[in-house]
Order: sequence, then structure tokens, then C-alpha cells
Amino acid sequence: MAKSSKLDTLTSELENRLDELFREDGQPGEPLQFRDARSQPLAELKKIVLSIDWEITPEAVESFLAQIRLLKEAYQADKIVSMFLQILGSLGQYIKSNRSKAHPSTFSLLNSVFARLEEITSFPKMRELEKRKLLQMEMTAYQQLREKISQRRAADEAKPVPPAPAKPPAIPAASEVTAPMLAQAVAELKEFFRSEMAALRRQLKLKIDASR
Amino acid sequence: MAFVNLKNKLIQVKIVYYGPGRGGKTTNLEYINRKFQHRINSEMVTVKTHGDRTLFFDFLPFDVGLVNGYQIKIQLYTVPGQVKYDATRRLVLRGVDGIVFVADGMLVRRETNIQSLRNLQENLASYKKSLRTLPWVLQYNKIDLKEQGIPMMPIEMLEQDLNQESPRPYFPASALEGTNVVATLKKIITLTIASIRKELL
Repeated sequence: MAKSSKLDTLTSELENRLDELFREDGQPGEPLQFRDARSQPLAELKKIVLSIDWEITPEAVESFLAQIRLLKEAYQADKIVSMFLQILGSLGQYIKSNRSKAHPSTFSLLNSVFARLEEITSFPKMRELEKRKLLQMEMTAYQQLREKISQRRAADEAKPVPPAPAKPPAIPAASEVTAPMLAQAVAELKEFFRSEMAALRRQLKLKIDASR
Repeated sequence: MAFVNLKNKLIQVKIVYYGPGRGGKTTNLEYINRKFQHRINSEMVTVKTHGDRTLFFDFLPFDVGLVNGYQIKIQLYTVPGQVKYDATRRLVLRGVDGIVFVADGMLVRRETNIQSLRNLQENLASYKKSLRTLPWVLQYNKIDLKEQGIPMMPIEMLEQDLNQESPRPYFPASALEGTNVVATLKKIITLTIASIRKELL
């Protein structure tokens, strides 16, 4: 009885304190940035790119390609943006036909091309030369990906069919973290950090150039 | 397990916002941080990818103040929702005291919600914890999208999918607009503190 009364006191005191701390005085909070993003032309494409990053569904890939078609029409007068959209469209077609078997670098390139396109469209004062430089970098990366894909295909075709294993390898329990798993996770993270840092450096440089 | 110092009468609890990727976990914390920053007097720490996704976690600590003689400190965390970051999610769950499961109300996300809840149960099991015993609430997010004609799940469907076994409080919400963000937070703090205090009394 005394225990329950103590609990009631605590709960009611806590509720009062929380009401005080999180009192909503009727003034709307500052709108979050995403709200503004909805009105931007690339907002929908960004959502779809993130969606593909999360899970490659046929619907997401179809929406991606449909959105690219719309944007191509909207930006047909801008040659550089059209080229970016062309690369994105080709990547989308490749993902559509290969789904989860697509080369792993495809998704980082998709994100990178989209990020560059976003940079270009959000800095209207960016010099033409700078835009071309960015496009060239992405085209080179795209070309490299194509080569990697061809090499992988060639290697797959040349590979002899392995004999069926006598015994399936033991699958570690969900809570068990093995050394190779850890090493792989660290390697993935390192690679991820490298690409993030490179993207940030590029964005920083652009901002500095734009402010000059 | 919460950090409790009886000598100094200090209780520190860890609340984790869990759920599928792009469901609105970070948006919940951003809303709280932005709207109440002047009162909670805290800084939100967040590590995001270039594409604006949570890589490790978001972290928002704040003091509730003195309640019934106890100084109460809250730590809010989110986990990265993307499937590939399961190890990080498990790590963030270590020592969790209360959970907000943020489900995405869009119809296309039905399966990902279910998978994410299953993943939460598995990850809790690795710490010998369970949703049957932990305080947790559900938030059915993105109700604002209905106005834009996006197919949404009715509450009954979300309840049936996610809240059948020992039903918990749930909140239809829009983290973007702030609808029921505070109600969710208040509920989970109250439930968590009550659960900890129950053990102490």
C-alpha cells in the first residue's frame, strides 16, 4: 500500500515536471528542413535514391526511372544536368535488371552522382568550369564501374563450377561476433569513411569557391 | 540497466528510438531538440552519412530535474534503421531502459515495420531482455502524409501487426510536424522511471 502510494507520488510529480519542461505554448516550432525540401525539384528523387539504398524494390526502381524521365524534360535546356541524369538513368536501368546482384559499387556511385547533381542545382552561381569538372569526375567513376562489371562478368564465366561442399559451414549464432566478421565490418566502415570524407571535402571546396 | 546512485539520489535512464529506416526516429529527436532547446539546455549529437542518414546514432541527453527527491537524467538515442547496420543497432541497445518503436505508417512499409520489430526482439534477446518485460511504446508516424494522398495503414492494421502480444500504449504521430512527439516522449519517460523505481522501492 505504502509502496503504491510512493509510486503514485513519483509518477504524478514526474508528469508535472515533464509537462513543465515540454509545455507546448501554441507557437509552432521552427519547421524542419525536410519540409522545405519537398518543394525542391530533386526532393522526390532524393527520397527514391534513399529508398533504393534501404531496399531495392521493383516499385522503387520504377519510380526512380520515372522521376529521371520527368527531370530530363524539366532540365532539357541544361546540358550538364542532363548528362548527370543520363548517368543516373543508366545506373537505374542496370539496377533494374540486376537488383541485389548489381555490383556493390553501383549504389555508392548512385549516391555520389546524385549528391553532385544536388550540389550543382543548389549552387546556381557555380561556375561552368566547376560543373564540368564535377561531371567529368562522375563520368570517370561511371566508366570505371562499367569496367569492373565487365571484369566480374568475365571472371564469372571463366570460373569452373565448384563441387558441392560435403558439409555446410556452421553459421555463427546471432550474438557471436567472429574475428573475420569484425575485420570485414571494420574494412566496410573504413571504406565508408573514406568516401564520406571525400564527398565532404568536395562540398567544402565548392562552398569556399562559391564564397570567393 | 539504468544508472542509479542512491547516495546522490541520481537516476540516469537510456531510452532508445527503434524502427525501420527513414521511419522518423531522428526527426523525433530533432523536433524535441529544436522546440525545447531553450528549456532542456542540451546539445544533440548526430553522426550522419552524406545522404543524410543516421550512421551510428543520434544522442540527446537532458535533465528532467528533481523529482521526488531524485535528480533524473534522460539519454535519448536513435539507431540507424538500415538493415546493414545491425551490429550498431545491437550496440546502441546495450543497457537500454525504455524503447519507443517508431513505425512508418505508409502502407508500402508494412513488411519493413514487422521486420524491424522482429529485429528488435532478436537484438534484445542477445542481452537477455524482452519486450514482455521492458517498458516500451509505439509511435505510428507520418500521419501527415495521408493529406498528400499517400496510401497509409489504418491504425487497426498497425496494431494487429505490431502490438498484439501484451498491448502497449501507441501514438499516431507526425514527427515532422511535432504531432504527438512530446506525448510519446512523456509516456516512455514515465513508464521507464516507474519501472526502475518499482525495482528500487
